[in-house]
Amino acid sequence: MKRWTLRSVTNEARLLLIGIPLLIWTLIPIYHLFLFAISTKDSATSGNLWPKHPTMQNFVFVLWEKHFYLNHFWLQMGNSMIIAVTVAVLTLFVSTCAAFAISRLKVRGGRTVMNLALFTYFIPAAFLAVPMYKAMGNYGLLNNQWALILAMVTIASPYCIWVLKQASDKLPYELDEAARMDGATPLQLFRLVYLPLMVPSLVAVGTYSLLLAWNEYLYAFLLLSNDRSVTLSVALGNFLSADDSPWELLMATGFIYALPPAAIYYTFKRYMVSGLTAGAVKS
Amino acid sequence: MASVSFQNIEKSFAKTKIIHGISFDIADGEFVVLVGPSGCGKSTLLRMLAGLEEISGGQIAIDGKVVNDLDSKDRDIAMVFQSYALYPHMTVRENMAFSLRLRKADQALTNERVNKAAQILNLDALLERTPRELSGGQRQRVAMGRAIVRDPKVFLFDEPLSNLDAKLRVAMRAEIKALHQRLKTTTVYVTHDQIEAMTMADRIVVMHDGIVEQIGTPLDLFDHPGNLFVAQFIGSPSMNVVQGKLRVADGQAWVEAEGARWPLALSPASLGAATDGRKVHYGIRPTDMALSPDGSGIEARVIVVEPTGAETELLLEVGGSKLVLVMHGRTNARPDDTVHLALDVPKAHLFDAADGKRIN
Repeated sequence: MKRWTLRSVTNEARLLLIGIPLLIWTLIPIYHLFLFAISTKDSATSGNLWPKHPTMQNFVFVLWEKHFYLNHFWLQMGNSMIIAVTVAVLTLFVSTCAAFAISRLKVRGGRTVMNLALFTYFIPAAFLAVPMYKAMGNYGLLNNQWALILAMVTIASPYCIWVLKQASDKLPYELDEAARMDGATPLQLFRLVYLPLMVPSLVAVGTYSLLLAWNEYLYAFLLLSNDRSVTLSVALGNFLSADDSPWELLMATGFIYALPPAAIYYTFKRYMVSGLTAGAVKS
Repeated sequence: MASVSFQNIEKSFAKTKIIHGISFDIADGEFVVLVGPSGCGKSTLLRMLAGLEEISGGQIAIDGKVVNDLDSKDRDIAMVFQSYALYPHMTVRENMAFSLRLRKADQALTNERVNKAAQILNLDALLERTPRELSGGQRQRVAMGRAIVRDPKVFLFDEPLSNLDAKLRVAMRAEIKALHQRLKTTTVYVTHDQIEAMTMADRIVVMHDGIVEQIGTPLDLFDHPGNLFVAQFIGSPSMNVVQGKLRVADGQAWVEAEGARWPLALSPASLGAATDGRKVHYGIRPTDMALSPDGSGIEARVIVVEPTGAETELLLEVGGSKLVLVMHGRTNARPDDTVHLALDVPKAHLFDAADGKRIN
């Protein structure tokens, strides 16, 4: 049993003193979002801590597409999903191959590629939006979902390569040598030894790129313009184009929009554990 | 099973040359230990044989076939790593079967080989466990099992016991030796521990600073070290060495060192070019000295007495040199006592002070 000494109590108190305000700070906006979503239009901005007449009507409006702004809700939700999943899959493929080549196969110029990739982060992504728009225009991909997918893969990859490269470096190199002596080709080494051991990092990186694409607004807004091809984040932005925005619907949609990332995070959280390599080599 | 041949092997990393033209042969079925202090190039030599390190110069041949440009997997050798290098996401069975799986071997054959290896190494009960559920010694056995399953031409061991505790190391030493006697596969074993080398090897290759100092059977190296380095490296506790001058007079030879006369059982004729007054090192093993019962012999001061039960180890001082004496049984000698040393003169060694080479 834990013994409560003065020191441990003060330590705990200090942590709580920092932790509780942080928690409140984080939760208040979400609480407001939820509050708006269950309020009627009239009472939405009343400033009460709990609405007098909480209602689920807003959710019904959203889910049954009963508003002008929500005509393509399910289609746009689908777009968001397809784009996010495709970005995650492509980013994983690109960055895993790159990290394997740089870290394990030690290809010539690997470090340069890493540094160049990281260099792209010196320029804020927002500044690259217009050049990216121009590039996609040249490829004839404007208003095509591939434009957004490719743009997001470009933005997500450098960080993912970097993270995976660091994780790969921690795998014992003797495993590669043992596999080579056992007769593994580089591809077999990748598939049978490297990938299984990288699962925690792959899940982390995959989740990161998926959420990055899911939450993207600027690029989606620029590269897609058709109501039927935009993502839900762009559609949410469109709510604000009216003088009298339906705040309660915007918040209800936003609330629903926030659910998949939360679900994804909690589903994959348990895979993001380290320690899978325990027992490989004597540490 | 196969023979292995090193011909003038060289290795450089960037501009630093770390192996300087090594040549020797290993016979079919032989157990050869490469031994030397860390940084002497023994592991690099083994890794070149394994195909994990490029060969900068010279030729390595397995069974008469030059393998310089052959991939590791095509050399038909298996290696046990110091860190075991087991695949952590596979069970013991999968670990051992991995090489056969890559070769697309028949499932029945794979099972048979794995079961047989598991039986030899006493791993039957552990086949479905993952490496993290095993102790150090068990992991080491799995690593060996992985090598056995392949039935390779040559086994390579890279300091396989250095991660184990002392007791387990002794047990595993015997297991590896027994395994070799059973399988009779050509084995190259790298270690920095000369006791491992002495107890396991058919022949020992002593390496130092990228060259071979001496090759021979364990007892050959022990009894007739070719130079001062081998003399001091092989044997535990290591050989006592005193520096002095060779004296030849009246048909007798001895070494004058630390104010004492160290006798040699050589006729001046057998000393060859070694002449009176030459600077030499006189070597005598701790077990080749005894406490003289009659007060004759070289006078020494006792510094430490270490009884180990069956034997007693004495740290002594003669002049400015410290010597170790190992005697059977026990002694009444106490620190600061003065004792006299009786040397087993025929077993004394004489080395040239300039190049360290053996004279007698």
